[in-house]
Amino acid sequence: MNIKDIGLGIRTWLDDRFGLSAVMDFLKKKPVPQTRHTVWFYTGSAILIFFVIQVITGFMLILYYKPTLDAANASVGRIMTEVPLGWILRSVHSWSATFMIAVVFIHMISIWLTKSYRKPREMTWVTGVFLLGISLFFGFTGYLLPWDDLSLSATKVGTDIPRSIPVVGAWVTQLLRGGEDVTGDTLTRFFGIHVCMLPIFIFLLLAIHVYLIQKQGMSVPLKEEVEKKAVRTIPFWPNFVYREMIVWLVLVGILFSIAVFFPPSLEKPADLMAAAPEGVKPEWYFLFLFQTLKIFPGKLLFVNGDTVAVLLIILGFLFILCLPFIDTKPTELKGKIITGLGYAFVIYAIIFSVWSLL
Amino acid sequence: MKLKYSLFSRRQFLNGLLGGWIAALMASFVYPVIRFIFPPYREPDEVTLPFADFEGIAPGSVKIFAWGSKPGILKRNEDGSYWAFVGVCTHLDCNISYLPDQKKFFCACHEGWYDENGKNIGGPPATPLRRLSLFIEKPDLIIKKEAPE
Repeated sequence: MNIKDIGLGIRTWLDDRFGLSAVMDFLKKKPVPQTRHTVWFYTGSAILIFFVIQVITGFMLILYYKPTLDAANASVGRIMTEVPLGWILRSVHSWSATFMIAVVFIHMISIWLTKSYRKPREMTWVTGVFLLGISLFFGFTGYLLPWDDLSLSATKVGTDIPRSIPVVGAWVTQLLRGGEDVTGDTLTRFFGIHVCMLPIFIFLLLAIHVYLIQKQGMSVPLKEEVEKKAVRTIPFWPNFVYREMIVWLVLVGILFSIAVFFPPSLEKPADLMAAAPEGVKPEWYFLFLFQTLKIFPGKLLFVNGDTVAVLLIILGFLFILCLPFIDTKPTELKGKIITGLGYAFVIYAIIFSVWSLL
Repeated sequence: MKLKYSLFSRRQFLNGLLGGWIAALMASFVYPVIRFIFPPYREPDEVTLPFADFEGIAPGSVKIFAWGSKPGILKRNEDGSYWAFVGVCTHLDCNISYLPDQKKFFCACHEGWYDENGKNIGGPPATPLRRLSLFIEKPDLIIKKEAPE
């Protein structure tokens, strides 16, 4: 009995029990349309690659990180200076987060503009919007963990923003901070959210999201679908996966190159009593919201300007969440308005982000 | 008096009873969870500091003290009197600094400005700084929450 037979024997034994060949047969038959919009399909698996990198580097960083007021900053310093190759692991974790969020935004906008959220894919979109929210919350909680003076001030601002929501605002701020103020309790709380709660939720939602994509198949561009044109397709496995692998290799190469040459900084430890430093800024993906809040005056007619700004941001988020239920006829005029709004959102986000840096 | 028709069936009654029990049981689990996630922190009613630490500060300058987990700012006015403020911006809670040469409080997060009396004069803040009441009872300096007006 040679090795090949043993391998085949193990495979048959496992298949008899798990039925994995049914999954493989499904993936071999799953058609991936080859159209001018196919390029956007690659964004989904690119997000997954960065997510896997986040999980692996996160598992490693947690071996040395200490989530307490006194030890947090020094433990990140130790990772950066003493732990073998620690600096590059932290750098990859930080940059991969940036890459992941960037691709998440591209993924979302591409689906918005190609209207792939339309029936029957409404719930894929809705789970996707929740995944976006979780990704942003990952970034927000992770930003505090190095516990330097910039991250402290950014977190003070970020956790104070919900306070302007009528009725429940003060309650949300206390829940996030674990008290009235940002303290060591907030750090421990953010750490727990970042490494325990959010991972569970993201895995659950990701499972539903990916299941729905398999169940409904890849979407075809509107024009072809309406005209019932035949579209050229390739099988998902192995043809499309091999193409995706090339993209993954290029992206991972870019990620590691940037991570090696531009590791994130570590400022001096946060001091709860010290004045906020100049140039407090959140992570880049919050800059457009940061600038939106900044331009609202303290008083707007008779109400608090921040309350108006925060309510507008919440309305915007709800609009995005409910997009598939608002735009139910994408081939007609309403679809054009939604497309226009999509472009408007991109232009608004870019202009406000750049403006906040000036 | 005997009703001719029952308002709800025996099954509906029992389902309602059972549902009520389950809801009450769930509430008894959820209540402690909600209580647990909010820690019992309150802002201090007063803090006592050694006056000797603050006696020497020059008129027109400030010194930081701990007001719970927030910074407090003790400012000595030009006439020699002392005022105490909560040292966080009323806009979005950043810690502020005092710029003695401009006689202004400044918040670096969103460029909020207050004059030397803590009044909001520029940028996003919509309300003045919170002032604390202050009593000198040598050797102690006692700082209390603002007196109700």
